[in-house]
Amino acid sequence: MKKIVSSIGGFFSAIGRFFGEFAEALAKGDAFVKLTLLWWGAGYVKRKQYAKALLMTLLEIAVIAFTFGFAMQYVPKFGTLGTVQAEQTFNIATMQTEWNDYDHSFLILLFSLFSFVVWAAALAVLMRNVVAVYRLQQQAERGGHINTFREDMHRYIEDKFHITLLSLPVLGITVFTVIPILLLIFVAFTNYDQQHMPPNSLFTWVGFANFKNLLGGGGMTATFGYAFARVLGWTLVWAFFATFTTYIGGIMLSMLLNSKKTRLPKLWRLLFVITIAVPQFVSLLLVRNFFSNGGIVNTFCANIGLTGFLRNAGLINTSYIPFLSAPGWAHVMIILINIWIGVPYQMLIATGVLMNLPADQLESASIDGASKWQSFRHITMPYLLFVTGPTLVTDFVKNINNFNVIYLLTQGVYTTTNQAMANSQAKEVDLLVTWLFTLTQDYYNYKMAAVIGIMVFLVCAVFTLVAFNFLISGNKEAEYQ
Amino acid sequence: MKKWTSLLLAALLVLAMFATASADTIALTVWGAELDQNFIAERVEAFKALYPDQTFEIQIGVESESTAKDTVLTDPTAAADVYNFASDQLTQLVEAGALINLDSDYGQALQLANRSIDDVKAENVPASIDGATKDGKLYAFPNSFDNGYFLFYDSTVFSEDDVKSWDSLLAAANEKGAGRKVGMTLASGWYNAGFFYGAGFTTGLNDDGITTMDWNGTSPDGVTGVQVVQAMLKIASDPAFMAIADGDISNQIASGNLCAVVSGTWDATAVQTAFGDGYAATKLPTYMAGDKEIQTGSVGGGKLTGVNGFSKNAGWAVVLADFLTNEESQARHFETNEIGPSNIVAQGNPAVGENLAIKALGEQSAYAVIQTVGGKYWDATGSFGEQIAQGTIASDDASVQAALDALVEGVTAAIE
Amino acid sequence: MTQTIKPRMSAKKRTSIVLHNALIAVLAFIWLIPIIWLVCTSFSAYDGINTSTFFPTQWSASHYVELFQVDTVNQFPTWFMNTFKIACASCVISTCFVLMVAYAMSFGKFKARKPLMNVAVMLNLFPGVLSMIAVYFTLRTFGLTNSHLGLTLVYSASAGLGYLICKGFFDTVPRALCEAARIDGCSEARIFWQIVIPTSRPIIVYTIINSFLAPWMDFVFAKMILNAGISANYTVAVGLYRMLDKSLINQYFTFFCAGGVLVSIPISALFFIMQKFYVEGITGGAVKG
Repeated sequence: MKKIVSSIGGFFSAIGRFFGEFAEALAKGDAFVKLTLLWWGAGYVKRKQYAKALLMTLLEIAVIAFTFGFAMQYVPKFGTLGTVQAEQTFNIATMQTEWNDYDHSFLILLFSLFSFVVWAAALAVLMRNVVAVYRLQQQAERGGHINTFREDMHRYIEDKFHITLLSLPVLGITVFTVIPILLLIFVAFTNYDQQHMPPNSLFTWVGFANFKNLLGGGGMTATFGYAFARVLGWTLVWAFFATFTTYIGGIMLSMLLNSKKTRLPKLWRLLFVITIAVPQFVSLLLVRNFFSNGGIVNTFCANIGLTGFLRNAGLINTSYIPFLSAPGWAHVMIILINIWIGVPYQMLIATGVLMNLPADQLESASIDGASKWQSFRHITMPYLLFVTGPTLVTDFVKNINNFNVIYLLTQGVYTTTNQAMANSQAKEVDLLVTWLFTLTQDYYNYKMAAVIGIMVFLVCAVFTLVAFNFLISGNKEAEYQ
Repeated sequence: MKKWTSLLLAALLVLAMFATASADTIALTVWGAELDQNFIAERVEAFKALYPDQTFEIQIGVESESTAKDTVLTDPTAAADVYNFASDQLTQLVEAGALINLDSDYGQALQLANRSIDDVKAENVPASIDGATKDGKLYAFPNSFDNGYFLFYDSTVFSEDDVKSWDSLLAAANEKGAGRKVGMTLASGWYNAGFFYGAGFTTGLNDDGITTMDWNGTSPDGVTGVQVVQAMLKIASDPAFMAIADGDISNQIASGNLCAVVSGTWDATAVQTAFGDGYAATKLPTYMAGDKEIQTGSVGGGKLTGVNGFSKNAGWAVVLADFLTNEESQARHFETNEIGPSNIVAQGNPAVGENLAIKALGEQSAYAVIQTVGGKYWDATGSFGEQIAQGTIASDDASVQAALDALVEGVTAAIE
Repeated sequence: MTQTIKPRMSAKKRTSIVLHNALIAVLAFIWLIPIIWLVCTSFSAYDGINTSTFFPTQWSASHYVELFQVDTVNQFPTWFMNTFKIACASCVISTCFVLMVAYAMSFGKFKARKPLMNVAVMLNLFPGVLSMIAVYFTLRTFGLTNSHLGLTLVYSASAGLGYLICKGFFDTVPRALCEAARIDGCSEARIFWQIVIPTSRPIIVYTIINSFLAPWMDFVFAKMILNAGISANYTVAVGLYRMLDKSLINQYFTFFCAGGVLVSIPISALFFIMQKFYVEGITGGAVKG
């Protein structure tokens, strides 16, 4: 916890420092430093850095053009998310539809966020600019060397190399991850659903209504809250079993394959790895047909009398074994199938880790007469846990968000028999992510999906915080470093 | 900085594209099912030939009728100008503004083809027009009327008397079916509603998008919902009955596990292959609710062709949609894909009448209703059907009533 | 490990070896059953799903042949090429991004490093499917829906977030090496290119494989972005997935299997060749990650 608190603290103190420097530069800077606020190139012109001045001026023009050419169409409507309903008229002369200048709530939200991010970036550039110009001023007053443009550029492959490296990836992450996530967080506070779908209708802000809806409160919420609790429960159970079964299975398999007794270990390894190489949408859909109610396994079980036996024993009351179509059965099958999919992958990781196992320790242990089990328990296992502990945490988070396995195995074949869950479009085998996917894809209930998405984030965040504290800091780091 | 230059560039590019596209060519896109692609391509060529003065740029895309709604609603502005969809999607598409109202100015575009919307209404069977109508306004052109279900059976197993009621059907299957079963989908509100509609129950849709449903009460015919469910439970628990998941029917037919199945014309070929000479089809059997014998109802409907509300060249899109669904097109569609027409003249074709499946659909259509329901309906009724299929509802009156109440509560809940 | 069995090996030891290998064989068999079924089904003469027998009643390679004859539903060769192009492009971009971010985070000494890393951890906790609709509209704004460029961006633009394993690997690169180079007057850029990259082969291979695979596996994003219904634009995943549509499955299930096999072959080969690097790459990163 300390680590996280200090890192959050560090984050804010870094921001504080940034503002402090800016304020200082502005207060102590000369007229050109102050003018830089208005004309971004001013300070550079004064120090004869014309190329930089030009670049900054161009950037400033671009920001201004963006603001008035683009952002101002959307940002002023951010408060209401639009008021003009789409209306169309048909012009028989041209045979074309003509629209009024209608508002599209979703695009208003998206582009407003976009604009905010751009402005925030522009502001940061401007502030840095002022500081940089002030530094130049100090430099000049001290009579020091003022960098030429070439020298300045050279710094981008030297001490500022990280900026060169990070700019494009960060741009990509901002556009394709940060803005979408921010957007969906905002959607959680609107009434964006099938009754309010742009472009034909508008949606607007509703405050915390959706959260109240989910966590119990008004009208039909009882079922939504109930479904949420059930789905969350299964999500956690699933993530736990999916993570640990494949983890332990992977270690056992890799030890089996790496044993000196194994002939042709590479070939065996490949045979297991083939299951990763087949795309999941092929292998999982296939397995799903394999175990379907009228599938080949059921035919087989019926032929050998297993189905009849289970029916007589009262374990099933259908004429088939509902491997993937009844709760309980489906839950177990999904975890088993996940073992099939996940173990080879974990085996690869464990193999690599075992290769790096400190051999001297094992040797000395065996000289001391330790049994195989003892050396596994006291040397191999702690080492493995130390090395793969962090991945265990990230795997858990990945499994909470494991869309593919659940979706491909249950979509369209699993029908819940729990009316209360069905009324909230959930199923017993749904994870939070598959549920929110169904809500967006089939019911266009974006607002609730967004709320659930935030819940997923909270669950993952809490888990990561706790796990990292117990697992990582509690470990004896010094031992292996 | 790069971001904005590229944005500018992209914007210019888009502008340029629009500028070139709008110069006199009429650009349209049409969506139809995978298996209809050749048919549509052929008819589109015929359409172009009909108006040689115009330059068309018509692009044909793939989107099956059953999933059209999902793709269109995600972003109606990016969807095709003319697209095919199943009639049960009409309500949601209209609400999203993804269909134009043909009873408005748009209908006048048909003057170009010397036709009118009234012609369309007169040429197609009234039930198909009902399926394309919401609040008294026509929103799409019917292109077929065969989207309903009835009973396929193997006449080497069943006599014509056997298939009259569920009791005799299942008894005969137990006796003579040699392990083959009678299959039907229960876990779908499209199929299982047939039992309720047959007994006089209804569903509907309010203006605010909330579905109405009376299945937990007593129908105008004096049957209680409890009796209907008890009859369904009895059928579902019969050893000769097999509840099949929605997507699995054609597979079960093909694998030869069935001697009778409730399905529609789309499975006719598969059934014919499986049953061989015994291939036969008829209306659905009757069932006993209390002491009343009730004809199992069904959901009728068809495939429709609509014009996107966000289509720019909507006028020509209307003309094209009308052309793709006119008598000639429907007759041709029957020839190429054995799709049952909604056009009255095309239906009169003797080949259509001889088609066993279409004939059986016709028999059933007297008991078919147009299903109007909202989004909350499907998961709730699907789950209800699955509970019946798996027998998780106890058959005593109180449990059934409780289950029905829960169903109605879910279906009629406000859309949050 | 040699394959010659020492002559003086005791009988007990020999049985234990046989049992050991037999156990592995049984496990491998269990693991391969579905794959065997996939391959067998793809060689079936029957179009639909075979539910009664494990092996097809009639063998035929005709579906492989037909897979290359384009019709309105099946355009496998086009899909394959589309996916290949997208996979290559996104592979190059993602690999560069991952290496760039990992280097900056591992070797950089700038103030924002820690905060940025924390932000990255947070971003990874949000479910990706949630942001689909926003990504879609962003792409549409740039006119990039229904384009392979757009899809490439979806797969690669955020790749930088997956830098952690690679950073872990870079952390193990001896710093002394870099210091020496720095004293010799090497720029940071040259250290990156000429010292760190060449010593990081395993992790590069690992990154390349992972980013190459994504477009072959994903159907959710691809389906949403390629929404114009032009099947010649599809990727393999979208195309094959559509074959399982209710109305098509009975005619195209065997095609689906054959397509699945054809996709898996190159990927398996890739895995086989890269196995060693892959293992070293993951664990090199995991050790310190």
